[in-house]
Amino acid sequence: MNLPTFTRRRASADTAKTTATSSVTYDQHHEQSRAAQRHADIWLTIGTALMGTFVLGFIGLPIFLRGVWLQRQAQKAGLSVRPIMVTLIGYLVVLDAFLNSIGWILDLGASHTLITRVFFTAWGNFVDNGYFWHYNELWIGGSSAPGEKGWEVTLIFTVFPMRVAAAIAFLQMKRWGHQWLTVTCWFGVVIWVGYVVNMTMYADIRFDGTVLPVVGWWLYDIFYITPFLAIPYLHTVNREIFSD
Amino acid sequence: MNEQDRKRKRALIVFQIVIYGFLLTMFLIQMNMYMNRDW
Amino acid sequence: MSTSPASTENTGEKELPLGTTPAFAGMHKWLKRGIFVCLFALVVEGAFTVPALALWYGWPTLSFTEICSELMKVRYSDDTVECEHPYPVDGPPFGGKPEAADQTTARDEWGVQPKPDYGRIGFRELIRIHEERIARQEAQNAAPR
Repeated sequence: MNLPTFTRRRASADTAKTTATSSVTYDQHHEQSRAAQRHADIWLTIGTALMGTFVLGFIGLPIFLRGVWLQRQAQKAGLSVRPIMVTLIGYLVVLDAFLNSIGWILDLGASHTLITRVFFTAWGNFVDNGYFWHYNELWIGGSSAPGEKGWEVTLIFTVFPMRVAAAIAFLQMKRWGHQWLTVTCWFGVVIWVGYVVNMTMYADIRFDGTVLPVVGWWLYDIFYITPFLAIPYLHTVNREIFSD
Repeated sequence: MNEQDRKRKRALIVFQIVIYGFLLTMFLIQMNMYMNRDW
Repeated sequence: MSTSPASTENTGEKELPLGTTPAFAGMHKWLKRGIFVCLFALVVEGAFTVPALALWYGWPTLSFTEICSELMKVRYSDDTVECEHPYPVDGPPFGGKPEAADQTTARDEWGVQPKPDYGRIGFRELIRIHEERIARQEAQNAAPR
């Protein structure tokens, strides 16, 4: 099938699939597209990983944006790469899940390290006293706010890993990724309603004595609504682009 | 735009309004508590 | 739809991304903008959280251990508690006693909806609290002589 004398040239989307020798051109096009996508994905993944560490986020963001730019360039050159929205939603859902999980894994599993004790109680004292009030007095340590541990354990071990798995499959343009990302983003409604109502029930514990009561927490946490922005896209994107 | 697309779009807009409306409501409830208690 | 109309609509009109039909193009555009806003905000927040908190609570004048102890003193309204560092490895969650086990000094109005009673900590106020207490203790130590 491969004609050795065939010179490599960039396959343009308009002609690639219509010539008689299109099968060879198509293979090359396919290979080039995969290579371009993988190249972009390396930058996107490293960027997301760095952004997920909180402190290295400023380094991660330009790296991530370069990945987006590379993908856009590949798209303009006519290669078959993922739609930008799929890339954005996929990686952002992963970032959202990691940022949340890392915080709570530290609260569950590293509550007595110096860093956690300093920065969690400090963050708590600043915006959410659920992470300050009687911190490290529970038998398991960490936040003592009523209901908090229930939410932490539940989300770390159910929704967030499911979301990450679904997002990865979604980035691979798999049909099940699209379906399960839709399901796990809808879980986000349950999470936000449950978590915020629980906070409100024990609002005195959560906000009394914080540096920035109410406003501080909302300003900080409102940007985790990514799933609410993903849902409309997931329901209106043409499902044909996701394969089995 | 066909009928199904139109209904879908409307349902998704309703969803956005409902969920952000809920968040705004909870924020306002908490602000009200802030005003009435000495935090 | 799988024949990708996006790449053939080059006739002066803006090309639609793969998977986006004309019916939802506007919606997808705004969703994309919203997502970028969330991304930038999350990154900025994430990057600034640690330095901002460190500064507010007195670093580098106070070391992390001192900040930990000062916050613990405020939390439990008790000037004698200290942050043990490093904490024994078999502490929570591996079964040992949490650092505040059996504390009795925390001021709370208990009931089904507990209300805490500690003061708000201002910008770098922990430093002032720390130094005032040290001064007081030195004065007390000096007094008996």
